[in-house]
Amino acid sequence: MFKNILIPISSEYYTKEVLKRGVFLAEKFKSSINLIYIIEEKTLNQTDKESDSYRTPYEIAETKNEIRQKQKQTADKIVFEDAKFYLKNNKIPFEEKIIEGEFSNVVKREIGLKDYDLILMGFEKECALRYRLFEEVKIPLWVVNKNDGKSILGVCSNLAPNVKVPDLSLKLSQTLNLELNMIYVVDVEDSVEVNEKAIRSDKKTEKDLMISAENFKNEIEKKGINIELLRGSFEKEVIKATEIYNPKIVIIGREQKKKGILGLPIKNLKRKLVEKCKYSILFLN
Amino acid sequence: MNKQIFLKNGISNYKNIISIIIAFLVLAIFYILPSPEGLTHSGQVMIGILIMAAILWITEPIPLAVTGLLIMIIQPLLQLITPDEVFSSFGNQAVFFLIGAFILAGAVEKHGLHRRIALRFLSYFEKSPRLFTLGIMISCALLSFVMPEHGVAAFFLPIVVSILIAMKIAPKKSNFGKISMLSIAYGCSIGSLGTLIGGARNPLTIGVLSKLPEPINVTFFDWMIYSMPIVFIALPIVWLVLQFSFPIEVKDISGAKKEIAKQVNVAGKMSKNELKVLFILIFTISLWIFLSSHTYFGLAVIAISGSVLLFLTRTITWQDVENRVPWGIILLYGGAITLGFGIQKTGAGSWIAHTLFSTVGINPYIVILVMIIFTILLTNVMSNIGAVAILLPIGIAIAPEIGISPLLASMLIALSGGLAFMFVIATPGNAITYSSGYFSTKDLLKAGVIANIICIFIIFIIAVVYWVGILGI
Repeated sequence: MFKNILIPISSEYYTKEVLKRGVFLAEKFKSSINLIYIIEEKTLNQTDKESDSYRTPYEIAETKNEIRQKQKQTADKIVFEDAKFYLKNNKIPFEEKIIEGEFSNVVKREIGLKDYDLILMGFEKECALRYRLFEEVKIPLWVVNKNDGKSILGVCSNLAPNVKVPDLSLKLSQTLNLELNMIYVVDVEDSVEVNEKAIRSDKKTEKDLMISAENFKNEIEKKGINIELLRGSFEKEVIKATEIYNPKIVIIGREQKKKGILGLPIKNLKRKLVEKCKYSILFLN
Repeated sequence: MNKQIFLKNGISNYKNIISIIIAFLVLAIFYILPSPEGLTHSGQVMIGILIMAAILWITEPIPLAVTGLLIMIIQPLLQLITPDEVFSSFGNQAVFFLIGAFILAGAVEKHGLHRRIALRFLSYFEKSPRLFTLGIMISCALLSFVMPEHGVAAFFLPIVVSILIAMKIAPKKSNFGKISMLSIAYGCSIGSLGTLIGGARNPLTIGVLSKLPEPINVTFFDWMIYSMPIVFIALPIVWLVLQFSFPIEVKDISGAKKEIAKQVNVAGKMSKNELKVLFILIFTISLWIFLSSHTYFGLAVIAISGSVLLFLTRTITWQDVENRVPWGIILLYGGAITLGFGIQKTGAGSWIAHTLFSTVGINPYIVILVMIIFTILLTNVMSNIGAVAILLPIGIAIAPEIGISPLLASMLIALSGGLAFMFVIATPGNAITYSSGYFSTKDLLKAGVIANIICIFIIFIIAVVYWVGILGI
C-alpha cells in the first residue's frame, strides 16, 4: 500500500514519534523511507530581517552560516541518529538528506522527484510553518500525533467522494489488525454533495442529504463495517467522534468544505482539524 | 533591472507600499489641517512626522536607517528646522562614541576574545543544569556590558547549541533547551541596559539629553550608577521566571562539561592579538568609567583613542571596520536625535504633554508607571531604538508637567526600551535565538509576558526609591 514513505522534518519542529511511526509502517508495508531534514529558510530570513539595521551584512552572513551549521549538526547528531536507532534491527531501505528551503515547497519538489505514496509528518501549531502542504499535495498525508488509540476511524461525508476512505480503512484495519469504525457526517453548514469526480453539486436540502447518507450507510454495512450517521458541522462532529472512538488513526478523504457557520467562507479545514484533533490523521487527498 | 530582483530587493510587496502611503498620508493630513489652540503649525507638522516615523519603524517597509534619513531631510524640506540644525546631530559626541564602541566590539569578535571569555564564564557554572542556565544568562549580560547585545546573542547561540547537541537535546522538546536559549535572549537584553555600549538606544538617550536647551551630561559611570541595580535585580528574577515557566527535566550536565572542555581545548592558548585587544578593552573601559565626564576627555575621545590603539597595534584593519561597523545605526541615530530636537523646538512636545494631562490629570507615580508600560509594549512590537526615539521627546516634554526631571523620564524610557521579551520580532536577539529551533513563539510569549510585568515593577521601584529617593534625579 505504501511503498515509498517520505518523512519531512523541519528545523522548526521535530518529534521522534514520526520516526517511530515511519519505521512501524515501513515494517508492515515493506516500504522504503526517505527522511529529509529541512532547514527552514523563513526562520533564517527572519533573523536577517530583524538584524538588518543593527548588524552589518558581513556579521549577518556570519551568523546565518553558524545557524545553518548548527542545524546541520542537529540533523546529523540528533534526528538521523534517532532514525538509525529505530532502524537498527530492520532491513528497511533508508535514505537521508538535508535541504534548505520553505517546508511546503521542499516537500512538493521532493514528491516530484520520486514516486512517493505517503508523506508522514508531525505538526506544531506554535511555529513559523504555515503547512500549505495540507491543501496542496495530491498523495496521502499522515500527520502523526503521539496519542495512540486502538482502532481506525474512517470519516465520510456529503463533502467528499467517499470512494477511497472505506476501502483503504478496511485494508489498513486488516493489515494493522485494528478494529474499524466509520462515521458519515451530514454537514449542515455546507449542504452540497460531492460526487465521485470530486465535483460539488448545487445546494441540497437536509432531507436529500440524509437520504444519500442512509443509502451510503446501507452500502457500507453490507461490507460488515459499523458506520454511524452524524449531523452537524463536519469538523466538530469529527473531533467529537474521535473522543468517543479513541482511534490510532483517523482517515479523512477529499472533503471540500467551503462554507462554515452562517454560510461564511471557510479556509484551511485540514489544518484546523489537525490543530484540534488529539489523534493521528491520514488525509487521503 | 530584472523585475524579480527589484521586487525582492526593493519595496517587496503591497503591504509595504500601503505602509508607506499611510505614513505619508498621515503627514499630509497633519500638514493640511488647521492647528488646534496652543499648537503652532510647525508643531502640528512635527507631530505628523513623529507618527509617520512610528508607522515606518513599526511596519518597516524600508530599512530603519532609511526612515532615520527621511526624518532628517523632511524637517528642512518642510521648513521646520534648518539644515544646519539637522546635520549638527552628527556633531554630537555620542555618534563618535558609537563608532568607537563598534570598532572595539569588532576587534573582540575578530580575534574570538568574546568566545574565550564566554567559555571561561560558563565553566564556572557546570555544577547543575539549573546553575548552567544561570551561567548563560549572567555571561550574556556581562558581555553585553562591553559589546552590542545582538553580537553577544549571535556568538553565544552556536556555543550553546553545540552544548545542547552534545547532550542530545532535541529542539522544542526540552525545557532545558528552552531555558538555555531564552537565557541568551533575556541575558543580552537585560545586560544591554548596564552600560552605554550594550544598546544604541543608550548613547541616543545621552545624545538627546545633551541637546536640550538646558543640557544634561551623563557620563559612562553615571549611566552605570543609574542602571546597574536594575540589571542585577532583574537578572536573577527573570532567571527564576524561566525556571518556574519551564521546569528543567535534565539531571546530568556531564555532556555540557565535556563540550565546554572540548571548546576550550579547541580555542587553545590566548594569542598575542587577543591579549592586546583585552588590554585595550580594559584600558578603554577604565577611562570611560573614570574619565569620561566633560571636565576630562568625554566619551567620544576615549572611544576613538581605543580604536586608534587597535589600529596602531595592528589588531584590526580598515577592512574589519567595514565588515563590522553597522553604519545604518549611525544614520538611524541622526534621524532619531533630530526627531527629538524638532519636537522640542517646535513646541510639539509641550503641547502633547499639556493636552495629555489636562484630560488625564497629574499623578507622577501613575505617569511614571504608564511611561514604563507603554515603552515596554512599544519596544516589543518595533525596534528598540525606534521606540526610544519616538517616546524620548514626549517623555522629556511630559517631565516638567508632572514635576520630574527630564533625566528621570529619559532613563525610564531608555531602560524600559531594552526589555523586549515577548516576540520574535521585538529584537534581533530574540530572532537569532529563535532560529535555533529550541523554543516556540508561544514559549517566548509565555515567559516574556511574566518577565516584562516583573521588570515593569522593578524599574518603577528603582525609579521611585533609588533614582528619586536616593540619587535625587
